[in-house]
Amino acid sequence: MKRYDMIIVGAGPAGLSAAVEAAKHGMCVAVFDENAKPGGQLFKQIHKFFGSKEHQAKVRGFRIGEALLKQANELGVEVLLNAVVTGIYADKEVIVRHNDTVRHVKGDTILVATGASENMIAFPGWTLPGVMGAGAAQTMINLHGVLPGKRVLMVGSGNVGLVVSYQLMQCGCELVGIVDVAKKIGGYGVHAAKIARCGVPFYMGHTIVRAEGTDHVTGVVIGEVDEAYQCISGTEKQLDVDTVCIAVGLSPMSQLLDMAGCQMQTVSAKGGTVPVCNADGETSVEGLYVAGDVSGIEEASSAMIEGRIAAISAARKLGYLGEAPASEEISKLQASLEALRQGMFAPGNRGKIIEQTEEGIRISNSLLTKGYLEEQEIERFPGFHTQKGIHPVIECTQNIPCNPCQDVCPRHCIMVGDNITALPVVDENSACSGCGLCVASCSGQAIFLVNDSYDQTHASVTIPYEFLPLPAVGTIGVALDRSGNPVCEAEVLSVKANPAFDKTNLLTMKVPKEMSQKARFFAVKSSEQKG
Amino acid sequence: MKEHENLRVKPIQWHSEPDDDLIICRCEEITKGEIRKAVCDGMVTIKEIRRYLRTGMGLCQGQTCGKLVKGIVAKELGVKPDDLEPATGRAPVRPVEMQVLGKESEE
Repeated sequence: MKRYDMIIVGAGPAGLSAAVEAAKHGMCVAVFDENAKPGGQLFKQIHKFFGSKEHQAKVRGFRIGEALLKQANELGVEVLLNAVVTGIYADKEVIVRHNDTVRHVKGDTILVATGASENMIAFPGWTLPGVMGAGAAQTMINLHGVLPGKRVLMVGSGNVGLVVSYQLMQCGCELVGIVDVAKKIGGYGVHAAKIARCGVPFYMGHTIVRAEGTDHVTGVVIGEVDEAYQCISGTEKQLDVDTVCIAVGLSPMSQLLDMAGCQMQTVSAKGGTVPVCNADGETSVEGLYVAGDVSGIEEASSAMIEGRIAAISAARKLGYLGEAPASEEISKLQASLEALRQGMFAPGNRGKIIEQTEEGIRISNSLLTKGYLEEQEIERFPGFHTQKGIHPVIECTQNIPCNPCQDVCPRHCIMVGDNITALPVVDENSACSGCGLCVASCSGQAIFLVNDSYDQTHASVTIPYEFLPLPAVGTIGVALDRSGNPVCEAEVLSVKANPAFDKTNLLTMKVPKEMSQKARFFAVKSSEQKG
Repeated sequence: MKEHENLRVKPIQWHSEPDDDLIICRCEEITKGEIRKAVCDGMVTIKEIRRYLRTGMGLCQGQTCGKLVKGIVAKELGVKPDDLEPATGRAPVRPVEMQVLGKESEE
C-alpha cells in the first residue's frame, strides 16, 4: 500500500494551498479530487477578491487558482483527478476510486478539504428543468460557456446570489429580480449596488411560491411573506422567467469525517454538521485535519489560509518543520485569517442587526432593502467629498476587510489605515490625477471619478464597466442612477482598458453638471437595461 | 438517543397537507407526504427515515435533500432541525458500482 506524508481530499483552494505548503517543507503529498479539473470553485470565480495584498485582493479568483496550480506542479505535488475518495478507515487508510478500480493508500496525516454543497428549497415546480443551484449556473457559464437561460430569477441575496447574478448579466442574461425571504440583503452592499444600478429589482421579504411550466420553467410566482415566512395571500406576482437560480446557503460536505470517526457537531453558523477541530484544523482523530468550507462555510480566501495552517501543523507533527518556525508561521497565518474575519460580515456577526458602521455612521437602509444608496445618503460617508477638478467618490459604506484602493493610489489620496475594515477616506485636498487605478482596483466596483468642471455645463463621471461589447467613444446613451433609472443623456468620452485594470474597463461619460452625483451607470439604450 | 425515545412516545396523528405530493428526495422520488407519514409511523431519526423510505440513498447521497428531509421531520416532531441527530456518514460516500468496488488496484 502506497504511503504518503499527507493525503489531501479535494483540490480546491484549501486543498491546493495545503499541498503547496506541505510540499515546500519536503513532504510527500497526494491530492485526490473527484472532478475532472482541479481548483474546486476557484476557477468559476471570475470576479476580483476582497482583502488586502497578502490575501491577494483585487486578483480574480481563477487567476489565484492558476497560480496555485502552477506552484503545486512546480513542487511536484501529485494531483489525481477523477479520483473519488469513498471512505477513510482506521489508521488513516484512504480508499480512492479511480477509473474502474479502487485503490488503498495510507497517509501519515490526512487533510479533508471537500468543500460544501448547495442548499435547496422545495416549492411546487422545483424539480422542473430550469431550476438550479446558483453555483450550478455559475459552473455552466464560467466553466462550460453555456447559458442556463435568458431570463433569470435569483433566489437568495447573499454573496453567492449577488455575485452569480452579476456574472449571469455579464453573460447576457436578463436578471428579472432577486428574491429573499429576509427583509435585508444578506451579501455585501457593494455587490448589491452594482446589480441595482443596472435596474434589477430586489424583492426582499418575498418567497418563491411556485415555478410554472410542464417540461421546463416558463414562469414563476413570488409573493410577500409574513413573520412565519409564509406567503401572504393576495401579494402574489407572476414573473416571466425561464431560469430560477437558488442561492440559499451551503452545507459542509463532511460525511467522510463522520465515517472516519471524528467527533462532529451541528452548528447553524457553520452551515451544518462539521467536525470539532482545534485552531490548526486538527479533528478529534489525531493527524486528520480539515480546512475550508467543510469545517464551516466561509470563503476561498480564508480556506487558502486554513489549508496552509493545517499543512504546517502536519509538517511539525511529522518532523519536517521545527516547533519554533512552525509556531511562528502559524501565528502569522492566524493573524491574516483573523483580519479576514473582521467587519460587519464577520462570522461572529451572522444574524445580528448592525445599524451603524465602526465609525458610528448610520448604515443605509435603502442599501439593505433596495440594493442602492439614496443620493443624499452618500454624503455622510468618508469616501464622499467634493472638490474642484477630478477626484474619487467612494461609495463604500459597510465595514468589510478590504483595502486595495489605499495601496494603488500613486498619490496617496485614499486612506483606509491599519484597520483593514475601516471605510476609505478621501483626502480633502486630494491631488487626484484621474489615473483610475482606484476605480479598477475596487473589487466592489464602488469607486467613481467625478469631475464637476468638465466644461461650463457638464461634468464627467468615470465608472467601472465590465460588460461587453464596450461602447465606442462618442456613443450617446443614457446615464442610469444608482437604482438603474435613466436620468439623462450621456456621451461616452473614453473607454480605458489598460492591462493594469485587469478587465475592469473605465468608462468616462459626459453628463449635465447637476447629474454628477446621480449618474452611476451607462446604458446604450434605456430599454435594454430596464427590462 | 434518549431524547429520540422521548419523541417516539408522542403519537402523531396523520393529516394530509396540500403540498404532500411535492417531491423532496429527487433521486428516490420520495414525497413530502411520504416523509410526514413515516414520522407518523414512528420514524423519528434521519437514519430510520432513510432506511424506511430510502431518502438520501440515491445518486446524490442526500446532498440535495438532506436538509429538506431534516426540516420536514423536525417540523412534524415539533423540534429544531439542529436537534435531530444527523444522518450517519457511511462508505462509500459517493455511489460506486459493485464491479468497481470489488476491483482493487495493485498500486
